[in-house]
Amino acid sequence: MRSFELSPLKNKEIPSKIQELLTDDLLNYVIIKDGHIIKRELSENFSKIYIDSYENALPDKINVFLDTEFCNDYQDDAYEYNVENVNSGLLIHIPRNIRLEEVIHIFYIQENIDLVSNTRILLEENSELRYFEYLYNETSGSINFVSNSIVKENAHLSYSGISKFNEKSVINITRNNYVFRYGSSKYNIAEVNDGLTDSKTNIYLQEEYATATTKTVAITSKAQEASFTQLIEHNASDTEGFIENYGVSNDESALIFEGVGKINKNMKRSIARQSNKGIVLGNNARLDANPLLLIDEYDVEASHGASIGKIDEEQLYYLMSRGLTLRQSERLIISGFLSPVLRVLSTDTLKANFIQSVENKTQ
Amino acid sequence: MSTLIINNLYAEVEEKEILKGINLEIKGGETHAIMGPNGTGKSTLASVIMGHPKYKITKGEILLDGKNVLKMTVDERSRAGLFLGMQHPSEVPGVTNSDFIKTAVNARLEDGKSVSLFKFIRQLDHAVTDLKMDEDLPHRYLNEGFSGGEKKRNEILQMKMLNPKIAILDEIDSGLDVDALKIVGENVTKMKNDDLGLLLITHYQRLLDYIKADKVHVMMKGKIVKSGGLEIIKRIDTEGYDWIKKELGIEDARVIEEEEQKRFMLGSCATKDALGL
Repeated sequence: MRSFELSPLKNKEIPSKIQELLTDDLLNYVIIKDGHIIKRELSENFSKIYIDSYENALPDKINVFLDTEFCNDYQDDAYEYNVENVNSGLLIHIPRNIRLEEVIHIFYIQENIDLVSNTRILLEENSELRYFEYLYNETSGSINFVSNSIVKENAHLSYSGISKFNEKSVINITRNNYVFRYGSSKYNIAEVNDGLTDSKTNIYLQEEYATATTKTVAITSKAQEASFTQLIEHNASDTEGFIENYGVSNDESALIFEGVGKINKNMKRSIARQSNKGIVLGNNARLDANPLLLIDEYDVEASHGASIGKIDEEQLYYLMSRGLTLRQSERLIISGFLSPVLRVLSTDTLKANFIQSVENKTQ
Repeated sequence: MSTLIINNLYAEVEEKEILKGINLEIKGGETHAIMGPNGTGKSTLASVIMGHPKYKITKGEILLDGKNVLKMTVDERSRAGLFLGMQHPSEVPGVTNSDFIKTAVNARLEDGKSVSLFKFIRQLDHAVTDLKMDEDLPHRYLNEGFSGGEKKRNEILQMKMLNPKIAILDEIDSGLDVDALKIVGENVTKMKNDDLGLLLITHYQRLLDYIKADKVHVMMKGKIVKSGGLEIIKRIDTEGYDWIKKELGIEDARVIEEEEQKRFMLGSCATKDALGL
């Protein structure tokens, strides 16, 4: 990766919408705005790990992150642009045998520059991290967000996030994840952007017994177009990958899910499963799900499925027969539908914030 | 005390007439049972009273305490005091039982008011214990993965929590084993009071061993063809429905024909599509 210059920060103010989320029960967070860390509240336990922006990273640390052959191999236009023009990002390094039960919350805020963010997370052997990210902006902008994570032997990563960029944004998100022997990754991402979105989650199971689950919840509204691709590639035998997509498309928006389970030759006894569920809410909305299984080996288990439709009439009737209004019933069904991500949010304020975003987009 | 009056009710589904002039009056404190063979329109009647969107009313009226029920939406009917324990309750993944019931209880209160959480949980706990259901039930998703018996008990649980004026239980006994039937029967019997009007829909007299009915109606061909007391149940129990058919001079009591076998078409696999195979 090229060295880069940070544009100076205009002010250190935290946007009020983010400030609202910083309740007393939200522990352990870092706020990074236009590439600069503006607030850092971490408990004693986090002193065991390394977390900093590129700006402050020590040279020997930077090398730990830059010498990761996999991340540099990934080929994609947006990704290459990111590597060339990076102006923000974090380095998170969890040393061997360190298991952090507390969730670390990272708020990435875009304000005055086009954001080109590249975060690298490295979990050494037998370590554990629970990571949550909140991507946010208020003005217009172009967003190119990349996160690369490496989960080494018997390490466990829980990666959750909410992405909430506004209508005038053009958003490109790539999350790459490499999992080694006995390692596991769990991705739970809620995409409630209002802007044009292209989001990819790529998980590579590099060694035997690696497992990964990726769940994406996405809601599109108005004239928005958004595409969400999730890939799990099995590069070793005895690996397991699960892809789940939950989508709601409202108004005249278009939402596309691409799920790819790829098992390469000789990767025996691997399991690739995926399910796609969608509710088409708007009369002129579209929701496409393309579940793919690309399998070059016989001795595997694989399944895929997609069910897309309007809100179930029988469910509505059932809830209404207990006195819930049509609107209340729809809200309950949609929030239930999106619950896989709701469950992983750590504070009630964050949950309420997510539900509010959902309601704004499903009106 | 509430009164539900059904006058000369005709209803159809997909242009097929199913109800052909139903007359029925249920007062608070009374328990009515509607019996009859399969396909005679019993469940249709229940769905029509609750307002299922599939059915079209072509004639007649339904009045609850003088108010026109047919003009109300489904949720308005519920809030007015009608309750239908369904034969096949929907599963709603992601919505917990307790969230759902709480929303339903709150929907009955004035705007902006809500039930005290403590009181609600205590009440729900009691109901769960009474019905001998799993303690984790409130946290499970609504009917998802419930056994047939659990679903039926869950309907009774909701009835307990919502306290309706007129409750219709549509084949609440189907899919229940004897123990579960006993529990359901006892709980419904315990709920009986001078304000609650009950309408039980069933094939079997078995349910009526546990919930005593005051009036029994037999439905055939979309009509109530016989009304009376418990003596009808006894006769159906020993002789079946043939004597009634004979009295009426009909052979087939059904009004709903077995659904034509649906034709399935196998869609092409999305992978093949995407790869252009």
